[in-house]
Amino acid sequence: MRTYSYFPGCSLEKMAMSYHQSAMQTTNKIGVELKEIEDWNCCGATTYFHVDELLAYTLVARNLAIAEKMGHDLVAPCSACYKNTYFGSAYLKEDQDLSDHINYALEADNLHYSGSIEVKHLMEVFVDDVGLEEIKSKITHPLEGLRVAPYYGCQIVRPRKDHEDVENPQFFEDLMSTVGADPVDFTYRLRCCGGSLIITSREAALSLVRDLLQSAVYSDADVIATACPLCQTNLECYQMTVNREFGTDFSIPIMYFTQLLGLSMGLPPKKLGIGTEFVSADRILTFAKEKV
Amino acid sequence: MATKPSFSEEVSNLMHASHGNPLKTCVQCGTCSGTCPVAEFMDHTPRCLIGMINANLKEEVLESNTFWYCASCFHCTVRCPKEIDIAGLMYSLKRYSIWKHTYPEGAIGPVFSETFVKSILRSGRSYEPVLAPTYIFSYGVREFLNEAHTATNLMLKGRLPVLPPRIKRLENFKKMANKIIPMGGA
Amino acid sequence: MGTKKKLLVIDDDPDFVEVIVSILEDADYEVDAKYNPDEGFEALKTGSYDLLLLDVLMGRGAEGIMIARKIGDDERLRETPILIITGMREQIAFLFPGQPVHPSFVPIDELIEKPVKPDLLLEKVSELLRMAEERKAQTQTN
Repeated sequence: MRTYSYFPGCSLEKMAMSYHQSAMQTTNKIGVELKEIEDWNCCGATTYFHVDELLAYTLVARNLAIAEKMGHDLVAPCSACYKNTYFGSAYLKEDQDLSDHINYALEADNLHYSGSIEVKHLMEVFVDDVGLEEIKSKITHPLEGLRVAPYYGCQIVRPRKDHEDVENPQFFEDLMSTVGADPVDFTYRLRCCGGSLIITSREAALSLVRDLLQSAVYSDADVIATACPLCQTNLECYQMTVNREFGTDFSIPIMYFTQLLGLSMGLPPKKLGIGTEFVSADRILTFAKEKV
Repeated sequence: MATKPSFSEEVSNLMHASHGNPLKTCVQCGTCSGTCPVAEFMDHTPRCLIGMINANLKEEVLESNTFWYCASCFHCTVRCPKEIDIAGLMYSLKRYSIWKHTYPEGAIGPVFSETFVKSILRSGRSYEPVLAPTYIFSYGVREFLNEAHTATNLMLKGRLPVLPPRIKRLENFKKMANKIIPMGGA
Repeated sequence: MGTKKKLLVIDDDPDFVEVIVSILEDADYEVDAKYNPDEGFEALKTGSYDLLLLDVLMGRGAEGIMIARKIGDDERLRETPILIITGMREQIAFLFPGQPVHPSFVPIDELIEKPVKPDLLLEKVSELLRMAEERKAQTQTN
């Protein structure tokens, strides 16, 4: 049994509840335990860094300190939480001054972060820690014939953390092949969804969403798979707005990779949070057929 | 006494761990502008903005909407041949603009940042509905209706919280923030 | 008085630095200025200054507080009096309504807010310098 300190992040509490549900269900299937970080706080999103980065790292460090106290590596399903927490931890490890100062603030909550844990995105747990072979052995309902556009978005791959390939990653495609689906050649798979521009610069964000949806449609995808609640919300909840603004007629479901994984493991759709989406995922369910 | 820093040095001083002045190494190749998905909406492309910073055009840079359009996708940062953290630069300019109040009256970007930060400091977590009223009035009628439509749908699907979330050790959390920024009652 | 007192200013605002440096130089102090927290702290460690004038919001955030805390942790440096000069109330009052709180990391320090009147600045500087000398005399007799 692998155990992680799980940092769901604000979106997964409600807006992206289905991501949380499907993450819990699928990790359970592969012998991974996600223990929620007790009394976690917001990671600061992107906006905190506009005001004071030291304060932003302090927020991140509080979660890290609690995760470390629990004794497990931290895993975040949201790409923005992941990026902030990953780099917050890295900076605290390499910068003694920063670490001293932030630990001085953490004393207010009787906490200390010594930098002994790693930070991972939920997808890394599946692909790197558990491994595709192991996952394959749990697939009972392969999604044969399902054309999936694997949408990486931004912060799961950028900024660069080590020497990994940020221009041509393949891990999402590999995972989708493992569940029996056909990952399509999706030109805009690494392009930005607009993030919080959907609030601050609506016109720009909607045009990014339109381009992404168009790119998926060009590649003849049945569904776009995501690994981030912000991407999911922008692509799905604003799909109708895009149609109104640009006179398009997109109707493509946007699902979390954990939901597709769950379907291929034969888990009931309801338990994966399927049924709360704006663009119905009903058609996708028909692909999950039991292996004979 | 040291010579007065140029605007380019002033901006570099704001960036994390930017010893020396990385902005000055910019060769104006335009990879950032070609990569940026929102460049067409900016009044100056990222390449142009860096050129303006290096030319000491402080006022023009601060008046620009470029950095408020940055969505932090970091595509420019990973591609820059001179390894300038361009997205990091945009953060720095946002910070500069907020600290010095150089943004235009009624701009949505800074108001959103401020509201978001305030809401987290109050409760420890972010809460989507509380963010709505602050920016929604700057929209036109059409956008307002679209937004209300989306929000209603989310409510119907049970995807918007009714009560604001709150962490348990909120008092400690606030004390922690006050140790970093010593402001307020106490 | 004999030799001039040596002061260090750490502040990221070039215009503000220009003004206070000229006020202090007119009052016969020798003044160095650094515009970012890292270079400022380095200068403080290697030079020998009689007083530090310190801004708060610089670089990534409230780095002035970080410097003051570091100085407080250093047995030698903590004897340098610090005058914190901050515009925080103007800069980020929307976040933390109220007043800047004097953090008190070193034995002799004081916090004043921007904008600073020249008279007050000079008064505070000479007051802190006097207190530091008294403290030095005291510790030597002990």
